[in-house]
Amino acid sequence: MSKMLHGKTAFVTGGSGGIGSAICARFAREGARVIAADLAQPDEQPEGIEFITYDVTDAAVCQQTFAALSARWDRLDILVNAAAIEIEKTIEETTLEEWNRIFAINVTGMFLTSKYALPLMRKSGGGSIINFGSYDGYIADPGLAAYCATKGAVHALTRAMACDHGPEGIRVNAICPGYVDTPMLRSFFGESGDIESLQQAVRDLHPTRSYGTPQDIANLVNWLASDEARYASGQLWIIDGGLSAQVQQMNL
Amino acid sequence: MNRLNGKTALVTGGRQGIGRAIVDRFVIEGAQVMTCGRGPRPRDLPQAVLWETADVAQKFDVDALTDRVVAAFGELSVLVNNAGLQIEKTIVETTDRDWDLLMGVNAKAVFMLCRDCIPIMGKGGSIINIGSISASSADPGLALYNASKAFVQGLTRSIAVDHGPAIRCNAISPGWILTGMADAAFAAAGDTEQAKRDALARHPAGRFGQPADIANLALWLASDEAAFATGQCYTLDGGLTAASPLNPGLF
Repeated sequence: MSKMLHGKTAFVTGGSGGIGSAICARFAREGARVIAADLAQPDEQPEGIEFITYDVTDAAVCQQTFAALSARWDRLDILVNAAAIEIEKTIEETTLEEWNRIFAINVTGMFLTSKYALPLMRKSGGGSIINFGSYDGYIADPGLAAYCATKGAVHALTRAMACDHGPEGIRVNAICPGYVDTPMLRSFFGESGDIESLQQAVRDLHPTRSYGTPQDIANLVNWLASDEARYASGQLWIIDGGLSAQVQQMNL
Repeated sequence: MNRLNGKTALVTGGRQGIGRAIVDRFVIEGAQVMTCGRGPRPRDLPQAVLWETADVAQKFDVDALTDRVVAAFGELSVLVNNAGLQIEKTIVETTDRDWDLLMGVNAKAVFMLCRDCIPIMGKGGSIINIGSISASSADPGLALYNASKAFVQGLTRSIAVDHGPAIRCNAISPGWILTGMADAAFAAAGDTEQAKRDALARHPAGRFGQPADIANLALWLASDEAAFATGQCYTLDGGLTAASPLNPGLF
């Protein structure tokens, strides 16, 4: 297959995470120069990916990182805002500090990174921004109140950014994954007892009879990042194995 | 150039516009393709593409088409329900004949083709229905067209839920794509050029779509890259529906 991102440059927040690392690996395979930005750098660093320490909640870090990047790169074609956390609580259980923290990472972090990345992307004559929303921005999972709220905010921000920056050739879309096999999902399953039978039950509820892999998500991110998606903007791309195409499945 | 190697595809309405762009792209990517339309084989259709003259609103034609697919390919891997038509009328102006004509192609044909083709997707398959942004936000004066595309969205979800995991089914909802259909809508406006300028200003992408834009997404959905994508209606509209219909800059 010809390389879909040949000659492009990409910056991925949450680049060491479950989905983020799959995206970075795919981008590198498709010929892009990739920076994986995350709080901690992984022990094993695959070739072709540059890892940097980056905190999406720290405005000074975001600003300095892109100032430094502008001195090295003359273009930024792809920005993936994948950094996110989950808090498994209802609003009553959620402290104000926790609420502020999840919004700082999932929403403010996206705002800050995008804000400081835009000038370099504009210099390239355009680009593709891919934000991580969630199917939880549409329908709720129990006990994830603050997380659901952050993802709703991401969806609205995505549309607004697409409207504002489309005329500059910058496309903005959100990916809304359903259940994907990541450390975050395993943690969500963690306290609910027998994990094997739980996982099987979850698979059975999907029209695909599986939940997603980070690669499944990277496949769509790669498409949205590529020139094939040049008419795609302002949209929320649910990829969930058909889960949310159904009404709640009753045990009839 | 080989993202659909080993796959077989049926694309309805492949004479022109979006359908033709999908046919051309699928061929380039290595698929064996059959397409159809009401008239004779288009002269410029690539040799490798099989053509059937068929009216997909007629059960007899759909059954014959399915038989031809089996005879030519054995099994089908990809079905693209692209054939569609629009009638520029409110419901008060719409006749029963208009209903039969429009719902026959935009709704009944999709139902009949899925019914016939799912059983011949032996190793599993991907169904791609061409819907429209009109399914979720109304274009004025296109009442039945809008409603028919809402049908397509509803059926898309049902097929994904009922026939997964073997079958994946998604819809693409194009916005304003430069085809004969869009030209007709502009021609109906008082000042065609002014209407085009206004419509363009409402697209964050700064342009209307091309059939090839839609073919790019159809290709991805047809390929194994989209293994986890099913039951969705993906909009490809240059950002049009991300913005409010009330655009203060364009009063």
